[in-house]
Amino acid sequence: MIQMMAILLQAQSRPPAAQSDAPIFGYIPIIIFFLIAVLLPVVLLGVSRLLHRRVFEREKLMPYECGIDPIGDARERFSVRFYIVAMLFLVFDVEVVFLFPWAVIYDKLALFGLVEMLIFIGILVVGYYYAWRKGALEWA
Amino acid sequence: MQPGQLAIDFHAILPEIITVLAAVLIMMIDAFTRRINRRVAGAVALVGLAGAAAAVVSLWGGKVESSFSGMIVTDDFRLFFAMIFIIVTFLIVLISLRWVEDEELPTGEYFMLLMFATTGMLLMSAANDLVMIFLGLETTSIATYVLCGYRRRDLRSNESAVKYFILGSFSTAFLLYGIAFIYGASYDPNLSPVATTNLQLLKERLASDQLFSGPMLLAGAAMMLVGFGFKVATAPFHIWSPDVYEGAPTPVTAFLSTGSKAAAFASFSRVFILTFFAAAPVASGMTDSAVSALREVSTNALMVMAILTMTIGNLVAIVQNNVKRMLAYSSIAHAGYALVGMVAGDWRAVAFYLLSYVVINIGAFAVIEVIARRGDKRTEIADYSGIGFQTLGLAAALSLFLLSLAGIPLTAGFMAKLLVFKSAWAAGFHVLVVIGVINSAISWYYYLRVIVAMFFREPATGFQRPVLARSLVAGLVLAILGTLYLGILPGRVLDALEKASDIMTTAARR
Repeated sequence: MIQMMAILLQAQSRPPAAQSDAPIFGYIPIIIFFLIAVLLPVVLLGVSRLLHRRVFEREKLMPYECGIDPIGDARERFSVRFYIVAMLFLVFDVEVVFLFPWAVIYDKLALFGLVEMLIFIGILVVGYYYAWRKGALEWA
Repeated sequence: MQPGQLAIDFHAILPEIITVLAAVLIMMIDAFTRRINRRVAGAVALVGLAGAAAAVVSLWGGKVESSFSGMIVTDDFRLFFAMIFIIVTFLIVLISLRWVEDEELPTGEYFMLLMFATTGMLLMSAANDLVMIFLGLETTSIATYVLCGYRRRDLRSNESAVKYFILGSFSTAFLLYGIAFIYGASYDPNLSPVATTNLQLLKERLASDQLFSGPMLLAGAAMMLVGFGFKVATAPFHIWSPDVYEGAPTPVTAFLSTGSKAAAFASFSRVFILTFFAAAPVASGMTDSAVSALREVSTNALMVMAILTMTIGNLVAIVQNNVKRMLAYSSIAHAGYALVGMVAGDWRAVAFYLLSYVVINIGAFAVIEVIARRGDKRTEIADYSGIGFQTLGLAAALSLFLLSLAGIPLTAGFMAKLLVFKSAWAAGFHVLVVIGVINSAISWYYYLRVIVAMFFREPATGFQRPVLARSLVAGLVLAILGTLYLGILPGRVLDALEKASDIMTTAARR
């Protein structure tokens, strides 16, 4: 898979040679990649379907819940507070994405880059502080 | 000037910086004090807007130049639209100061979102790059998606937010795909950068007919037409707007139908008039080039859209019984009139049209907001029966705004329509003007219907005289003055517009 990606990236980085050599040919690796991505699961599922032994027992037909017997109904209400975690994750993840390139060339950007980055982090801290004070981190 | 340079110029984005700072300040006060006072939040927002307006004035009439690697352009086109957005938000803050508290909605977040949406709108008019336009559009859209669903426990408000969000993201995808196509169409291995989304570079490449593929350009332009057409609610991409406008809280509806519409028109004009049309002057001899094909096809498409939008908007508005829904269709029709100006390729007429429209429409929605009471309960036309003499001031103000929307002389609505139709007539689109005028006559019916209901019907039961907040009265008075000023003494604004520079005029002067 990784080799596939490498080939793909190389194909993309090579500049198109001439006008007649339309850039659509650069997409051939993607098409191959797509076909493999479709074929692989189809083949795997098909083969296991052809080869497997069918057993229908009570335990086998039960919903799978980490190996233990299921407790209660699956249609239960639960608090969807994951979205707050997701949002906070986004705040800090995106922050890191921008911090990396800055860290790589920070001696070239000098003071300007530092100030710019401080402003950027400052805005994120404001967001974090806001979420905190508004009780987004209280888990209940 | 060259887009290749970094050109960091903080003066050029001062209006945006000020509005963002105001928004962040509101957020911080809200977080520190746990619950922000509505007066404080409103005051910060108003001061921020006044600061932004001052920054716009300080930039006005200056040199036309682009900054931030060609992402931002400072010309009077941008500044005039920026002024429209600032006026919109200023009026919206005034009419919703008391309303937020009466509805028991979170105050800080409301004003914060308004300010962020305004920032996005300012960026949309300042953008000189398709990517920047997209960024501004998203900033505006995300803030307005939240504002639509701001009345969290109200089903209509939820419906409005979900519909707006899903259809809005769908149309944004069209816009982005269009941008990608245009980026591809501008590909040229001999130039640097090889492909571009910068509008100035794009215009140069279009004008010199150095294109990778003509059909690709047309496909991209068509996709962008769909994306923008959705954002400004033109037929056949208008279906979302009545539901969204009806369900959203009334001040938010006012904001949507004026602010985000004007912002979308700003980008729309920037891309189509100042880039695509500017690249292919009609008089030029090139007939087979992709650029002149683009101009011809998109003019025709815009013309069909304008006719459909005006006609559908006005005809469907006739049968509406809900005032907010009726104004939603009226808003669609008005987008059609503004499109007439776009077809003529005259952004000055479009800008004046939008300026008048936002002032009038916010005024009308302010009255509707007061009469609707808490939870937007009274929005049927039947609720307006006979209220004319019970609350004469409000009814008179609403009548003025509705008449102005219909286009009665001496009000802003008339001047705006006159300008748009004049420039379309001068550009030779006579059929379009005739259809526009007929539509304008049709629109009289449903505007007058509300006025007739207010003054000549038996009083509706259960109407109590609303208590007017001072801030709302201030907003209403400003809207009335604006409507009359633009209608009776439009000279100064028109003069400023006439002298206003844009990328095109500077290029011609050089």
